[in-house]
Amino acid sequence: MNLNDCYEAMGGNYDEAIGRLRSERLVQKFVLKFLDDGSFDLLCRSVEAGDCTEAFRAAHTIKGVCQNLSLTKLQISSSALAEALRGGSWSEGSAELVEQVKADYQQTAAAIRAFQEANAG
Amino acid sequence: MKEQQPKTSRFLLISLTLLFTLTVCIFSFLGFYMSHKSRETIRAVSQMYMSGISEQISMHFETTIGLRLEQLEALVKTVVSETIHEDPAMQQNLIENAQAREFTYLAFYRTDGTFDMLYGSPLEVVDQGPFLDSLSRGEQKVAIGNDAEDNRVILLGVPSPHQPTDRHPCVALVAGLPASYINDTLSLDENDDHIYSYIIRDDGSFVIRTGGAFRDSYFERVRSLYQFSNGKTAEQYISELIAAIANDENYFSEVIVDGEPRQMYCTSLSHSEWNLITFMPYSTLDEMVNGFTSHWIKIVIAVCILVLTVLLLVFRQYFTLLRGQMNELDKARKEAIYANKAKSEFLSNMSHDIRTPMNAIVGMTAIATANLNDSQQVQNCLRKISLSSKHLLGLINDVLDMSKIESGKLTLNTDQVSLREVMDSVVSIVQPQVRAKHQQFEVSIYDITTENVCCDSIRLNQVLINLLGNAVKFTPEQGTIRVSMYQEPSLKGDDYVRIHLAVKDNGIGMSPELRNKVFESFVREDSARVRKTEGSGLGMAITKYIVDAMEGTIEVDSELGQGSEFRVTLDLEKAQVMEADMVLPDWKMLVVDDDKLLCESAVSSLESIGIKADWTLDAESALTLVAEHHRKHDDYQIILLDWKLPGMDGISAAREIRRLYGNDFPILLISAYDWSEIETEAKDAGITGFISKPLFKSTLFYGLKPFLDPIENQEELPEQEMDDFRGRRVLLAEDNDLNWEIASELLSELGLELEWAENGKICVEQFNASAPGTYDAILMDLRMPVMTGYEATTAIRALDREDAKTIPIIAMTADAFTEDIQKCIQCGMNAHVAKPIDIREISRLLKKYFS
Repeated sequence: MNLNDCYEAMGGNYDEAIGRLRSERLVQKFVLKFLDDGSFDLLCRSVEAGDCTEAFRAAHTIKGVCQNLSLTKLQISSSALAEALRGGSWSEGSAELVEQVKADYQQTAAAIRAFQEANAG
Repeated sequence: MKEQQPKTSRFLLISLTLLFTLTVCIFSFLGFYMSHKSRETIRAVSQMYMSGISEQISMHFETTIGLRLEQLEALVKTVVSETIHEDPAMQQNLIENAQAREFTYLAFYRTDGTFDMLYGSPLEVVDQGPFLDSLSRGEQKVAIGNDAEDNRVILLGVPSPHQPTDRHPCVALVAGLPASYINDTLSLDENDDHIYSYIIRDDGSFVIRTGGAFRDSYFERVRSLYQFSNGKTAEQYISELIAAIANDENYFSEVIVDGEPRQMYCTSLSHSEWNLITFMPYSTLDEMVNGFTSHWIKIVIAVCILVLTVLLLVFRQYFTLLRGQMNELDKARKEAIYANKAKSEFLSNMSHDIRTPMNAIVGMTAIATANLNDSQQVQNCLRKISLSSKHLLGLINDVLDMSKIESGKLTLNTDQVSLREVMDSVVSIVQPQVRAKHQQFEVSIYDITTENVCCDSIRLNQVLINLLGNAVKFTPEQGTIRVSMYQEPSLKGDDYVRIHLAVKDNGIGMSPELRNKVFESFVREDSARVRKTEGSGLGMAITKYIVDAMEGTIEVDSELGQGSEFRVTLDLEKAQVMEADMVLPDWKMLVVDDDKLLCESAVSSLESIGIKADWTLDAESALTLVAEHHRKHDDYQIILLDWKLPGMDGISAAREIRRLYGNDFPILLISAYDWSEIETEAKDAGITGFISKPLFKSTLFYGLKPFLDPIENQEELPEQEMDDFRGRRVLLAEDNDLNWEIASELLSELGLELEWAENGKICVEQFNASAPGTYDAILMDLRMPVMTGYEATTAIRALDREDAKTIPIIAMTADAFTEDIQKCIQCGMNAHVAKPIDIREISRLLKKYFS
């Protein structure tokens, strides 16, 4: 499994990422680091705690990271969540969006882990 | 309201009548009172006058009689002696002296009351008693007597007590004068007949009568002739007069003689028992007084009429005003009722309109629930539910907008707007509807000088979508819809640009009545004619309101069956944005479109980005041009072809060009239609790509940019600028590790030295702790914990150090909302770059601020 396959698996745009970061080495480095990023945990914690402002910031950060790495699918759902929470209150449908973000994050993380394992091994 | 009017009129009428009566009363009283007053005054004046005259007459009488008595006394002293009766010479002397003084009679008066006549005919005293008594007491006295011929004689007596020889002693010397003497000297009988006098005794008998008086007693004359005003009887008058005479007082009264009112004045005369009564006819004074009074009354009446007229006019004016107000009130009420009715009708229509999609949603949901296993059926239901919901949402949005407008809460959020984006989004929204109705759709823009303006993009979109939506709705299949936009210099100044937008269709058009009220709220085209069209009927009212709020104008031309054209004119402020340098190589291009304006505009836009282009209006002449240039070995490097062309269409033309000249240059299709519907056919014909109309300068630039040489495109910028930033130190505030690492990695390539601040607070502290000039710029994420980018910027700008105000702060955010950008500028940031990090954009900005 190469990086391109990994992007394919998580619904990202590999060409765009390469276009921005200019080398496969960098893309790989940052994609692997994505697993360590705490924003998703922050999002989950905030949602549980009902802290809308923090949840918005977390979603917003996830969106920013995804934009940088062209993790398109997760970017779309996190962006939608960020927009839903922008007003500072839980709106109808935000729970579904949180679920969507979670699902997309799991898919993205799974793809990255698979890639990590394939290359480590 | 209806009952109110006569009520008010009646009130006005009554108050008018009352005021009228009051005025008349006041003026009548004034007239009466004044005339009475003046009459009294005149009476007082005439009394004074009469008493003056009487006084004068009585003084005259006194002096005349006094003079005569003195003469007589002188005679007595000089001439008369005890011996006069014996001395004829002395007697003769006396007679001569008396005659010289014009006495007509002269006699000694004996104690028995008989006369010893010296000359003149024998005399007889009329009222002997008092005369004799006075003379006997040694007083001088005047009396009246008759001579032998019965002539009236004035007798003047001076005491002369001597004893004549004959039997009776003598008491006085008496001289006589004719009665007319008094008349003449006192002028008692005035010629002008205005004033005349009588002399009467205390008992009323006449001493001297003048004029027509023939009775012996004045009182008798009074009883038979006189009448009295103010209820006085003759007897009353007589007794008053007698009392006054007895008390030696003057007496004044008014009497009516022969029907003529006169004033009389009575005063006593000296040397006698006589009283002088003077009369003055009242008519003279009365005429004067009446003249004055009538004059006065005339003035009063005139003033009264004047006041009444003014009063009447004021009332009339007031009444007219009042009626005007009433009518206006009535009109307003009718309008309110009309508006209310329109609203209720609208409400009932709306309820119906809302129920239709709602029913569909409810029904489809039920069907879907019943067919959960049939996925195709469920999908079908969901599609219909989705359609109905969208329709419902549209209706509700309109109503919400209208209620916002009606309560004055609809405001504009002005921000920077790209007209290209507005047009693109509008076109893409309308495309599906146009396609569904198989309509011709043309978009043309020309003379666009300013693509970025300040405006409320959402509302501008709404206006265009409303207009276009209506055009699509009211234009039958195969009809044509045309939207155009052009700019011209604004009258509001150089900072503004005037934008003309026009939406034209050849649909069913509008009747003049509808055209006149198309912008009113709650108005909808007669449902019989457009049964199938749907909508809230608020679209145009909202559109009009938005255009008004933008201080623009909207006009409509329409004819039934011919179609409609809506024209919007807006003066919008030019946005102060840095437009990226749009330069492309000096390619040789050909633009083919049947719209001449579009061709010219596109060619001029292309020239401004460095491209030389020809244009032509149809495919046939395009082929000729291409052939010509091919012969001259000056081939077009890119060709833009309109899809819908008269005669041969764009796709056929492309196919022909490819067949003749090969595939090694791009042919792009330009169209307002959705690319996806013709993509396959176009690609098969050898068309390289697609540029969506309208053709803004930036549309062309970004559409053509991909055809730059790929190597040329990529390598140019970073290498050039890497050297520029060596030694520059930048503080980067970013809370996310990964983002920081990526930014650090990318920006390091530019030679920048980066320092990381994990949030806004740290950023401020780090900056404050550094020596001034340490950092050349700050890159600031906006959403950070502890302290946001906005707060951090405000804090930095507020620091007391020399570079606090000058250090460039550039925002980085994933939000591309214009309000965020405006907020950045407001906080004191210099610029804004969107995430994800675009190394070229950042280097361009840094270069700008470092220089």
